Amino acid sequence: MKLSAIQTNSPVNDTNPSLSPSIALNVSQLSWCIDGKTILSNINFTLPTGQMLGLIGPNGAGKSSLLRCLYRFVRPTQGKITLFDQDIERLSPKAFACRVAVVQQDTPHYFDLTTEQLVSMGLTPHKGMFDTNSSCDGERIAKALEKVGLSHKMHQQYEHLSGGEKQRALIARAIVQQPQLLILDEPTNHLDVRYQIQILELVRSLGISVIASIHDLNLASALCDSLLLIHNGEVSAMGTPTEVLTEARIGDVFGVCAKVSPHPQHKKPLISYFYGYHDLTHHMAERGEGG
Amino acid sequence: MLVALGIITLITPIAATSFGAANISFIDVIQVFINKIANLTQANGMTERIVMELRLPRILLAFVAGAGLSLAGSVLQTVTRNPLADPYLFGISSGASFGAVVMLTIFTGSGFFDNAGMAANSGIFSGSGALSGLLWFSLPFGAFIGASLSVLIVLALSGLGLNSQVERMLLSGVATSFMFGALTSLLLYFASPQATASVLFWSLGSFAKASWSLLVLPTLVIGASLFIILGMKRQIMALQAGDETAHTLGVNVPKLRLNMLLLCSLITAILVATCGGIGFVGLMIPHTVRMLFPGRQPIILTALVGGLFMVWIDVLARCLLGNQELPVGIITAAIGSMFFLLILRKRRVMA
Repeated sequence: MKLSAIQTNSPVNDTNPSLSPSIALNVSQLSWCIDGKTILSNINFTLPTGQMLGLIGPNGAGKSSLLRCLYRFVRPTQGKITLFDQDIERLSPKAFACRVAVVQQDTPHYFDLTTEQLVSMGLTPHKGMFDTNSSCDGERIAKALEKVGLSHKMHQQYEHLSGGEKQRALIARAIVQQPQLLILDEPTNHLDVRYQIQILELVRSLGISVIASIHDLNLASALCDSLLLIHNGEVSAMGTPTEVLTEARIGDVFGVCAKVSPHPQHKKPLISYFYGYHDLTHHMAERGEGG
Repeated sequence: MLVALGIITLITPIAATSFGAANISFIDVIQVFINKIANLTQANGMTERIVMELRLPRILLAFVAGAGLSLAGSVLQTVTRNPLADPYLFGISSGASFGAVVMLTIFTGSGFFDNAGMAANSGIFSGSGALSGLLWFSLPFGAFIGASLSVLIVLALSGLGLNSQVERMLLSGVATSFMFGALTSLLLYFASPQATASVLFWSLGSFAKASWSLLVLPTLVIGASLFIILGMKRQIMALQAGDETAHTLGVNVPKLRLNMLLLCSLITAILVATCGGIGFVGLMIPHTVRMLFPGRQPIILTALVGGLFMVWIDVLARCLLGNQELPVGIITAAIGSMFFLLILRKRRVMA
């Protein structure tokens, strides 16, 4: 009974209303080398409008580098990235920032702003030199703060917020930026499990195209429409969570032994890890499978 | 707090004018102002001349200088994300001084400083004739070249960097400052003792040479700078959140940083050329303003507080030694170095 109650509230099975056949983001043959080292090579994928793509892979696989290419912080050595059929290289910094908002992993320490000021920074690309904030902007900021549940903290110093609140404030800033594509670099880092779920569900509920790197495979499986698995700078797999998250692949890429079963609530893959590496070979032999 | 600041702002010009060698009271000053505004005939010609020709330009120059240095410090601190940034500590002032001294030696021609001394004595700008006309332009120009050069050197040494560390940048600034200081000293070594003395006095910072004509250029430059900084307010604020964040908010980070550093060089150069090296104001004021008015966007406040601070420091400089004047640079350096140590200590406690 309890389970079914959760099920009806869950956004996981919702069909996204803004889902349309058009392509939000298309990456083709993207490579990035620096100092003779290949960080990313031959990455190809597309993100349909309104969908949420989870970027997964072990540490150092190139997730952050790929995201940085997508938001133009680094310039790829090769390849083409188009945003709604427009080459992103052709957009001015301002025009690009009006279309794409980014929530980064870490924020710098020296940061002397209130939450409201931080959120209002999302207006930066939309404003000219001497434009002041209109009452409409004020409303937008207030709405964004309300959406992330931080209205009561708007006058507090950003530095004094908790980890989850900081992350939500940054998402509010991205909402104010009114992007067509939202890029999140490990938005659930350092957060407890409740906020991990809350933040990703919040992002999903915005109804815009999202690409997010996520460490927790179960979280990625539950909340993303599709997954992109990166290993050593290359695409290892791309598809729905069920297609991507197989026992063999998890063993290959992450070097752990795991069992994949349908999640009791949403039927997407649920990954259970095995512990104790000295027993590992024994266990696998018993099941008659390879890693 | 804001109300208190407002009251101080209103009182300062009148009160500050009544301090000084000649005995002029608060009431006298008000009377002169009222006479001027109402265009009445003056009762006391001498008093009015002292107020209008000597003290008022001096106070205004001090205000403009304080406002400019605070603005430069505030912008430097933001665009380099270095809480210890200051035009003086970053070597910009010494670069500007060097540039100005070079210009003095070039344009005063033979015998290096024989004439430069005279130019400096007569207030660098306020001398008459073709020489002062040339200097009027070339001194700030030389100062700007020197200041920009020092900025570029500091950036080259510390890396125009994403993560250039606070300490690294500061050390580069100190090194640059020493280098230009040495070069200036070298030039002065060949100059006449009289010229050396006057350049030295100038480099310590003083508003004693203030006049209405001297006020024009700094006021224009700092007014324009304030205008530009206000226009770029959002971009500058975004930069405060880090290069990458600023980039994602549509800011062209390298371009903005370079432009702002050049703007700070310009402000510093013009002020060094006009009133010499006045250090630590750009460090102290932005910090104090942030402390007193937390959670505001304090660009105008910073300029205002900096200006008022400078006016009162100048009053102190006029009154501290009875009938002799103390260079303001000495006072700001004395207070500022204490302040610097306090910030360092606070940073250590926080880290």
